[in-house]
Amino acid sequence: MMELFRRIYYILNRRRLDAELADEMEFHREMAARHEGKPLGDPLRLREDAREAWGWMWIDRLGQDLRFAFRAMRTSPWFTVSSVLVLAIGIGATVAAFSLFNMVVLRPLPVTDPHSLLRFQRQGPQQFWSDVPYPAVSYYRENTRTLSAVLALTTARLAIEGTEFAPPTYFVTGNFFTELGATASAGRLFTIADEAQAAAPMVVLGHGFWASHFDASPDVVGSSVRLNGKRATVVGVAARGFSGLGSDAPAFWALIAHHPYFVDGSKMLTDFSGQQNSGVSMWGRLTRNVTPRAAEDELASLAATLRVQHPADVWEGERFPSEPGGYSQSVGSVSRGTGPAPSSHDRLYQMFALVGSLVLLILAVACGNLGSLLLARGASRQREIALRVAIGAGTSRLVRQLFTESLVLALMGALSGLLVGWAVVKSMLVLTDAPSWFDPTPDGRVVAFATGMGFLSATLFGLMPALHIARQRHRMTFARRFLIGAQVASSCVLLIVAGLLVRTFDRVTSLDPGFEYEHAIVVDPSLEEHGYSAPRAREYLDDLESRLRGIAGVEALARTSTPPLGGARITAIVQIDGRSQEVFIHQVDQGYLGTMRIPLRRGQDLVAGNERGVVISESLARKRWPNQDALGQPFQIGQEPPLTVVGIAGSARSLALQDPDPVELYRLAREGDLVGMSLVARTLGPPEAVAAAVSAAAKSVDRTFTPRVHLLKDQFQQHVRDVEQGALAVSLLGVIALIMASLGIVGLVSYAVAQQTKDIGIRMAIGAESRHILRSLAAQFQRTVALGLLAGVGGAAALSQLLRRELYGLSTFDPLSYVGAVALFVCVTGLAALVPARRALRVDPLVALRCD
Amino acid sequence: MPKSEMPSGALVLLILRVLRSGPLHGYAIAQRIHALSSDALRVEEGSLYPALQKILLKGWVGASWGVSDTNRKVRFYKLTRDGLRQLEAELSDYERQTKAIQAVLRMA
Repeated sequence: MMELFRRIYYILNRRRLDAELADEMEFHREMAARHEGKPLGDPLRLREDAREAWGWMWIDRLGQDLRFAFRAMRTSPWFTVSSVLVLAIGIGATVAAFSLFNMVVLRPLPVTDPHSLLRFQRQGPQQFWSDVPYPAVSYYRENTRTLSAVLALTTARLAIEGTEFAPPTYFVTGNFFTELGATASAGRLFTIADEAQAAAPMVVLGHGFWASHFDASPDVVGSSVRLNGKRATVVGVAARGFSGLGSDAPAFWALIAHHPYFVDGSKMLTDFSGQQNSGVSMWGRLTRNVTPRAAEDELASLAATLRVQHPADVWEGERFPSEPGGYSQSVGSVSRGTGPAPSSHDRLYQMFALVGSLVLLILAVACGNLGSLLLARGASRQREIALRVAIGAGTSRLVRQLFTESLVLALMGALSGLLVGWAVVKSMLVLTDAPSWFDPTPDGRVVAFATGMGFLSATLFGLMPALHIARQRHRMTFARRFLIGAQVASSCVLLIVAGLLVRTFDRVTSLDPGFEYEHAIVVDPSLEEHGYSAPRAREYLDDLESRLRGIAGVEALARTSTPPLGGARITAIVQIDGRSQEVFIHQVDQGYLGTMRIPLRRGQDLVAGNERGVVISESLARKRWPNQDALGQPFQIGQEPPLTVVGIAGSARSLALQDPDPVELYRLAREGDLVGMSLVARTLGPPEAVAAAVSAAAKSVDRTFTPRVHLLKDQFQQHVRDVEQGALAVSLLGVIALIMASLGIVGLVSYAVAQQTKDIGIRMAIGAESRHILRSLAAQFQRTVALGLLAGVGGAAALSQLLRRELYGLSTFDPLSYVGAVALFVCVTGLAALVPARRALRVDPLVALRCD
Repeated sequence: MPKSEMPSGALVLLILRVLRSGPLHGYAIAQRIHALSSDALRVEEGSLYPALQKILLKGWVGASWGVSDTNRKVRFYKLTRDGLRQLEAELSDYERQTKAIQAVLRMA
């Protein structure tokens, strides 16, 4: 410890101490001179050796190296600018990806103490729900000791009177704002006291909606609005920076206690079963020094107590697994299903793994590129290096010097990368209209990440050339081959993946989706959001159907709970040969297959009244019963009694357009499903012609709200655009990689030509023809490039597994993409390499032989 | 007899040992070692001063400025208590090792 203090004392006083040491050693020399004759050795060198004991020499050397690095950079500004630019692209891409990951996954929401918030889901032995019935939540809220607060949220679309418009409203508990530390931009927010039944109905405005619809006027506080035809007082406006517990911002905040007031027939406060639209998302804040485990255990035992009073509604052995609740990714959509609850992270992590690998490839290309540039530069610095070796620089000293130069470049690249990353994320947020509290400003983590990437890339592109230059090797070394090979491989992967995505896009646009979308209109009344019970829903749907049938140009009508290309999906996991297969369950009426023009291949269609008969897709039949006839086979979903396969329909990619081989099952909707049904109308002519009439008819059934009406082909095109954007983004990365790799190869070839000028001259003098020269030049790179391409193909095959599984449903092996990408790469780089190669052909033998 | 350099570990031991009898300046340390070894050991500037800096940093010796016999300002090194303890430890180590080596030489 004392030694450390002394060391620090030495660095602080090193000027004086150095002078003292010099003085002392001078005395030694004087004495030695007097007694033993003239002493040998360089006093400066000897003193440096003595000073080495202080342990601070590296600072002096670093200072020297840095000064030298800056001087070297000043003397070749083009090299400096271009390498910083290359690095800015490479590091910027990784920084952008990491910033997004940081914002969505790592950085907690801007609310009070986000780390003590937990999100709870219901988990039974057989099933899971991500939502919890509100009366049960109330019970837990009153009785818990491990949670200092229980928060709940549910969403609905409430129609604003006098407009066509039903913006999202978030119903929350009274403690929601206070517990999350929200502030008001105007007026006030809810408190627990507002939850009292007697309290007058009130709403809080979301900041964005306030700005867009009320011109951000503070006068709105105290005025009244009508939602679903019910009057409510605006008490305040939530602040701009308030995130709530999700990434979306609603137009209105209202209290769950007032849900029955706004929504006719709402069972929100009384329905313990959760079957009548009383499910809410549930969060809890842990009391100090309580573990999540303890809270889960307590909730499970509270559920067991509640089950005594509500044996049918609370599941046997019901548990509440928790996950961190204070992050934006923790707010998943509401889902219910069989088996254990899926973690909301998996898909997200997989996506980031994919994006991460793509941007790392760009970084790899950038580093490979810069590495070869440095090698070439090292050759031109041959004289300088030789001189430094001659006056006594050791290999390690030279490597340190050269590496310091790379490090300075890399850190400058990291800084510009930080800017590039910020700009990319910022423009993405603007383009996607993200909430304002998503802050793209780099925080400490992002800066640390960028710095780390700087060091990593310095090691990748700087270390190997430094070693080689310092050892003064200037042949076509392994390092050179490796750097080129790495560039070839990485850009090849990017090109192939881009190719695969383009092919997906192609398939989405050109392949038969299995259903007809050009002449269809979807009407989604979202009855459950408007408090409809099943019998009322039946009336509503019957009424709506008869009105729509009256419109000329409407050819057929059908009901479904999962309209094609909509967000809603119902899935079941079926075990096939020990592997889990996700099956899309379509709850429809008997007219659905005909209306959607999904062909019935064998057997019979769904028949009203036969609820146990189902139609499955060809793909499901093939997978489930590969060598048998699927007709008449029993089919088991969860705990239900088995259903019977009565018909086999063509495969239709109505819920997963990109999926080349989706599996589906069609069954008749039951009474309980009615509140979640949409209607699909098939039109005779272009759907635009009847859209207005359909809209008007839909509105006329229940005047208190406006159902959403859209053309199926619009949605289809939106979908196509999404895939297109993905394909475009990756293609852009691929093209950047291709350009960088081409430049790298151009540099390499021109370097080889410059090195071999004499050689070429001699060969031409003794009669070699152009093609011989070109062939021998090409021979030097063939193997490297071929190996790089091979590695790239392997890498792409691995990466496309990731793509296929989660994102775009690629076929893993698509020969056209692979061959196309490789061919493109070879052509572009080959053409690029011709430019410097032609210089070799213009070599004048006489000049070549005379040079140096 | 050739005048040889010595390993740096041994040099530290010798420096500490000659300083036990009183403060000395650098040149005097070298001279003393030279004389005591009957001119067999010679301590060069190039190894003496790094060693001195090292043990200064370790806190085994202290330094103060004084005046030499030739009336010149010079730095004198003085053994500290830590240095004395270090010297004793190194001496006993050294003795044990020498004995062991000699035992092997005799027996083999």
